[in-house]
Amino acid sequence: MSRWSYFARRVLLMIPIVFFGTTITFVILRMGPIDPAAAVIGASGDTEAYTSVRRSLGLDQPLWLQYVDYLRDLFTLQFGYSWVVNRGRPVWELIGVYAPRTIWLGFWSVMLPLFVGLPLGFYAGLNPNTLSDYVASFGGIVWRAMPNFWLAVIFVAVLTQSEQLFGFQWESWLVETNIVTPPELQRLWVPENFFGAFKAILPAALVLGSASMGNEMRIGRTAVLETKNENYVETARAKGVPGRKIVYKHVFRNALIPLVPIITGEAFLLLGGSVLVETVFSINGLGYLFYAATINADLPLVGSLMFFFILLSVGINIVQDLLYTLIDPRVGYGGEGA
Amino acid sequence: MVADSSRSDAGTAAEPADDRLLEVENLQTVFHTERETIRAVDGISFGIAEGETLGLVGESGSGKSVTARSIMGLVDSPGELLPDSSIRFDGRELTGLSETQYESVRGGGVAMVFQDPLSTLNPVYTVGNQIEEALSLHRGLSGLEATEKAIELLEDVGIPDAARRVSEYPHEFSGGMRQRAVIAMALACDPDLLICDEPTTALDVTIQAQILELLADLQEEHGLSILFITHDMGVIAEVCDRVAVMYAGEVVEQAPVVELFENPRHPYTRGLLRSIPSTQRGADRLETIEGEVPTPNAPATDCRFAPRCPEAFDACREVHPEPVPVATETADADADHTAACLLYPEDETREQAVDRHAIEDAPPGAGAVDSGGESR
Ligand code: SF4
Repeated sequence: MSRWSYFARRVLLMIPIVFFGTTITFVILRMGPIDPAAAVIGASGDTEAYTSVRRSLGLDQPLWLQYVDYLRDLFTLQFGYSWVVNRGRPVWELIGVYAPRTIWLGFWSVMLPLFVGLPLGFYAGLNPNTLSDYVASFGGIVWRAMPNFWLAVIFVAVLTQSEQLFGFQWESWLVETNIVTPPELQRLWVPENFFGAFKAILPAALVLGSASMGNEMRIGRTAVLETKNENYVETARAKGVPGRKIVYKHVFRNALIPLVPIITGEAFLLLGGSVLVETVFSINGLGYLFYAATINADLPLVGSLMFFFILLSVGINIVQDLLYTLIDPRVGYGGEGA
Repeated sequence: MVADSSRSDAGTAAEPADDRLLEVENLQTVFHTERETIRAVDGISFGIAEGETLGLVGESGSGKSVTARSIMGLVDSPGELLPDSSIRFDGRELTGLSETQYESVRGGGVAMVFQDPLSTLNPVYTVGNQIEEALSLHRGLSGLEATEKAIELLEDVGIPDAARRVSEYPHEFSGGMRQRAVIAMALACDPDLLICDEPTTALDVTIQAQILELLADLQEEHGLSILFITHDMGVIAEVCDRVAVMYAGEVVEQAPVVELFENPRHPYTRGLLRSIPSTQRGADRLETIEGEVPTPNAPATDCRFAPRCPEAFDACREVHPEPVPVATETADADADHTAACLLYPEDETREQAVDRHAIEDAPPGAGAVDSGGESR
């Protein structure tokens, strides 16, 4: 089987996964202890109002019918309206407001480790047991070991007092930004706005990406160390390939293979971990919205957000398969890796 | 090297050492570990003439592969070549070359075929890509020209349907085909000397025979010199012109192949020959040499083979034998046959022989070099 048909098969496999995930979500939401009608009318306990709310929400319909409606709405991307958190507001609109912040944060918490941790790890792997290797490795371990909530609080504390500590004010440095507010994400194509948004998200992204950065460094180092000693690297040297090209062509690409699942795995973790960091930095992203929706039993919102998360993780999975397929021609060969 | 012809040294003895393609002299490759210094290759000398195949034979751990890597300049820290070592290729001294200078020698002058074809090709690039890489480095070919040449090379090494296979990945090749591809890659560099490090060990017997045949054909076609490394005396008999037997980092016997098989002088060589099936007339069962190759971690002060040698005597534990010429048996008049064993030269009394070895070994480190006159 060629690797691209393998890839296509992997993508097709995602459809039943999305279906299954949404079904589980439905089961948990409708069969769990949550009574949305009660949540909507609040504490008044008016039975009259209660039944009418139930009817208007369609909760008096048989369960299977609710299930069919629910699936149809999700797969046609009709997410409906929020019931409690922001009553009457289309879910789409809410996602439109909250999601970009989370995506912006998630994007940088994947990119920073990738462009800082990975190169550091590769560098350490190429120069093992030198001073710079020790500094990088030790720093990586310490950095990785710091818990996110603690790191987040420290960052906020240090940055708000940067004037006294370092003699310059972080908030007004280069561009005016706040430390604990959602970043401005309007008109990002204007360099100034882009930089401002980047600067605003930087502390949060550093905290959220801290573990990934340490992991990617450590594993990148090991991967390079191992690949460097592969026979094909010696063969390349023996045929006179210059050292620099050996590193770029023969070492790096192979060293990336074990890193693919690490990087995408980190991306998964970021989905869950962002709630905490979003709270400390008051970013008010999807994590916050999801939390609020769950606490308030806002069923359409919770269901839609779950669906959104499922799509996101399936998307990450597809990216992972795509990376594999691009980097490693052995993918899908002889049934391995399936 | 013309400059060296005046120096008739006992180590490489009679061979007219003037215009051989490769001349290795007193090569010492050591590896530093925390506790000791391993003398993986300990003062060996040999040469390879143009178009000649020299077999380097010995058990695993005898230093054969390290010799090959030393010639290729592939010995990295914590390993190094000691200062007295000399490797001359085509008149050029290779020891002490910088990494960049060595890059021009690797592939273009000396190419190498490794033992395990499964791991010597990079899994993420097509076979064609890896051959073309060599073509662009050593012949300046690129693009379509390079692809065509790569296909031609694959055909040369007997890969069917080369035009299609050139764009396949190594994992789509069988073991034997991969070794052919590796050989094609080595040839792409257009080398003068090909070092084959156990090129058939990982392959099954029929494929092994095919690869040996292929190498012989290519040698004739391209006028290659070959350094053939193996632990298999049977393979040596098939492909080599001359043989150097290695034991614990030293060359213990060196002779033309027929001479060596007909008239093995060193007890170790005799042991090796007794351990192969077909050459021993009337032997019902194979003998093996008891024990293992020691790891040399200090300059030799004795015969390293003594603990396993059936003919060892007292002096073997106190005097380090140097290579000396021994009487030849085959018709070949200028057969150059040396053995490093206190039993030789056989026309001297044992005391005389031992004294001679003791004297030759006297200047520490200098070894066999500069002891001219005395031996002939
Ligand atoms: S020197 Fe002594 S121990 Fe060594 S091979 Fe000769 S006889 Fe055997």
